[in-house]
Amino acid sequence: MSKPILLSLHQGLRKSFQSLENNQKVWESVLADCIPLMVSLGNLAEQSRALSNIQISNTPLRDFPDLEERLRFKLQLSTDTVLEKLNLNMSSLQSVRDSVTNQVSAVVQLYEQNADSLDLLTVTERSSTGPSVSDMLEWLVNAERHFRQQYLRRKTLLQTLRPDDLSLLESAPKRWKSLESPSAEDEIRDTLCKVHFFIESQ
Amino acid sequence: MSLRLLSVDPSDRGSQRCRLGPGLMSALGLGLGSPLLLSVPGGSCLCTAWPRADLAEGFLQIDLKCSSRNLIFHPPSHVCLDPGQLTPVPCPKLKHVKITVVVQSVDFKKHTPPRLVHELVKDMLRGVCRGHHTVPLGGLDEVSASLREMLQLPLLYPGTLSSLGVSCPRGVLLQGPPGVGKTLLVRRVVGEVGASLVVVRGPEVVGTHPGESEEKLRAVFEQARSAAEEGPCVLFLDELDSLCPKRTGSSAPENRLVAQLLTLMDGMNQSDRFLIVGATNRPDSLDPALRRPGRFDREVIIGAPTLQQRKDILSVLCARMPVGPNVDIAELAQRTTGYVGADLSAICREAAMHAIRENSKSSGEQVVGMLHFQEALKAVRPSCLRGSLGRTELCPMSWDQIGGLEEVKLKLKQSIEWPMLYPEAFVRLGLCRPRGLLLYGPPGCAKTTLVKAAAGSTNCAFLSVSGADLYSPYVGDSEKALAQLFRQARACAPCILFLDEIDSLIGSRSSSQTPNSVQTRLLSVLLNEMDGIGLKTLERRGTEKILQAEGMEENSTQKQLECQEVCNKEVMVVAATNRPDCLDSALLRPGRLDQIIFVPPPDHQARLCILRVCTQSMPVGADVCLEELAAKTELYSGADLENLCKEAALLALQEENMEASTIKHTYFLRSLSHMRPSLTAQQIQSYQTHPR
Repeated sequence: MSKPILLSLHQGLRKSFQSLENNQKVWESVLADCIPLMVSLGNLAEQSRALSNIQISNTPLRDFPDLEERLRFKLQLSTDTVLEKLNLNMSSLQSVRDSVTNQVSAVVQLYEQNADSLDLLTVTERSSTGPSVSDMLEWLVNAERHFRQQYLRRKTLLQTLRPDDLSLLESAPKRWKSLESPSAEDEIRDTLCKVHFFIESQ
Repeated sequence: MSLRLLSVDPSDRGSQRCRLGPGLMSALGLGLGSPLLLSVPGGSCLCTAWPRADLAEGFLQIDLKCSSRNLIFHPPSHVCLDPGQLTPVPCPKLKHVKITVVVQSVDFKKHTPPRLVHELVKDMLRGVCRGHHTVPLGGLDEVSASLREMLQLPLLYPGTLSSLGVSCPRGVLLQGPPGVGKTLLVRRVVGEVGASLVVVRGPEVVGTHPGESEEKLRAVFEQARSAAEEGPCVLFLDELDSLCPKRTGSSAPENRLVAQLLTLMDGMNQSDRFLIVGATNRPDSLDPALRRPGRFDREVIIGAPTLQQRKDILSVLCARMPVGPNVDIAELAQRTTGYVGADLSAICREAAMHAIRENSKSSGEQVVGMLHFQEALKAVRPSCLRGSLGRTELCPMSWDQIGGLEEVKLKLKQSIEWPMLYPEAFVRLGLCRPRGLLLYGPPGCAKTTLVKAAAGSTNCAFLSVSGADLYSPYVGDSEKALAQLFRQARACAPCILFLDEIDSLIGSRSSSQTPNSVQTRLLSVLLNEMDGIGLKTLERRGTEKILQAEGMEENSTQKQLECQEVCNKEVMVVAATNRPDCLDSALLRPGRLDQIIFVPPPDHQARLCILRVCTQSMPVGADVCLEELAAKTELYSGADLENLCKEAALLALQEENMEASTIKHTYFLRSLSHMRPSLTAQQIQSYQTHPR
């Protein structure tokens, strides 16, 4: 009797991994798009810092009226543009996270609903072409957690930026980079390799 | 067998997993991810069970994400555990989560808007609230949007409001008949916005000792103030009329309570960012001082739901019921004029009960069908009309049960049925529904029956009053009752209000001897109600909808519903009399009773029809010639003819004992010879010459 349930669970897992694969690609490309934006954000912060360090009235540029205000306005405008683009990227990251979370929670729910009819022997059984259900669920949950945490951290970083705190803006690219966790990304790629035969085997 | 505790695998860090062998897991009855409580030396730890990747028994690895305090600082190592130290814990369904946010620094708290923290927490808990779904409110979108705006505006844009130099609104008064969902609305909006709610039910505050109630009220405001420091807060005063009645001259304890509430509301500082919401169904009994701007700035009126709103409510209610395919929500909405939200949910409940009762007899699928809803409609009556004077149970009549009078029937259908059935045609031709109808004619000619049939043929509410309902020994009582009747009728429009024997109810101003009798006062009330200057604000229902000639192409049924809603918001007055000359001329002008229909005494053809209808249920002998009877009954009214058939049947029983099986022609003739027609030629003449 556990056979049809197992089959439907396998089907759900297959679907989740497929969507995970697509989402992973989107995620990576979006993150790659973010890097130049973060660099320019840091540059802009540096320029603002330079602007506040300098006394324009002591330089030959003093003849230009309102130069400092104009420059500051310009810098702020470009900072806004960069942040807007970053926010757009964040929303695509969010959609990746949402889709992964929904997929994974659907599979976990499917398992939980039928947990009574699936004994542990069945869920830990492996074959040469397919990992066991418990392994696959574990990987999915891990990947989901990774996306969730990454998104949350990056979002917090961007949301706590303030135009008046230059040191925060300056350190943003560095902190953004430190959020990367190549090991987790590798793990997801590994996972996708491991389930490759399983996905193909339908 | 003992378990060796190993340090946690790096890939499991932060996953709250506890790795153990599959054999042990099945021995403990655990599935993947089942919660598990471990007690280790120095504390305990809550984990989710997971089989080890190598499926080996005898080892244990735990992630200490959720564990006792000192376990985090002194993680256990190199200990052996007994399987008895592992206890599976039940996993109850999550109902509420209360979250305390701990931030790193004061600086962070100062610079981060609470909205952001809220958002981050929501993101963090994504996937936890998986089963989280709120039931949307049907038909209250506009009201809830305005309420939400008041709650959110000051929170989202505090700078904007202060730069405009205005104080944000701080009080809303919700008013409407009982059961339209005032309390539910507040709770829902508060939940959506994420505000905290402090509820005060009127009677709870009132204490026995002098001064106690005021103290409690102050404490509640204090509570709201402290809650408002954390985030948005709503202080909800339910059943405000019991808390704040009109102040009277004497030094009643209520006066002090009202005064306390007024001072508390005035004493709210600009910095107190909480909103006071009051709800009442008797706004007129509130103290007027409470309703000025600065206290309750806005008054939101939630009226009895309109057709469209009822449809919304029903679709929300039915969304979670296994409803059969034959259930037509639009039709149900049409048939439930005058029902408020609470009534509609009662209908759904009743229908479900019917379905259960039926299924217990024959175990089948649990589906609620249209039939169950129809049964429920009989059991649940609209609460708008509850306690109303003219609520009458109608036995449905069809037009076919009335013989003859084709012309009158057509006119009645034109003025009552057509606006309901073909609203778009009326709109196209710029027609509006007649306000009132007067049926006059000699007694016994089926005036009342015609109205009954008209009411049965449409789905509108039907109220009928007679003099006995209205007259009262107290001065002014009858007028009040009539005005109340109109108010209720408007609340559940489209509605037919039937005034039978209107001449006795309302006299004429010119002919009556006493100029200030009850009748003339009733007449003035009726004139006002039928053609008054407008509705009272309290009776507003829904938003004003105006039909637009061109607009987006909607689907046709939707359009028809809307048309119907716009065209049929009025109460239709149907009056019947047999003494039209006694009526006041002001009542008869177009715009009040604009259709005046003469119900004539039956002519030969009509009498034949009437006799056919009357004898339909009788075993009439083969020799009976209805033609002859019709010819012989000149000046007989419909009631006379019915009586004639009855007499003939009785005569048959009398002559042939109780075994009579048919009614012979002779019986008809014999009973005819005993009878006199109730109409006279002179009488009919007077009706026909009667001018408008």
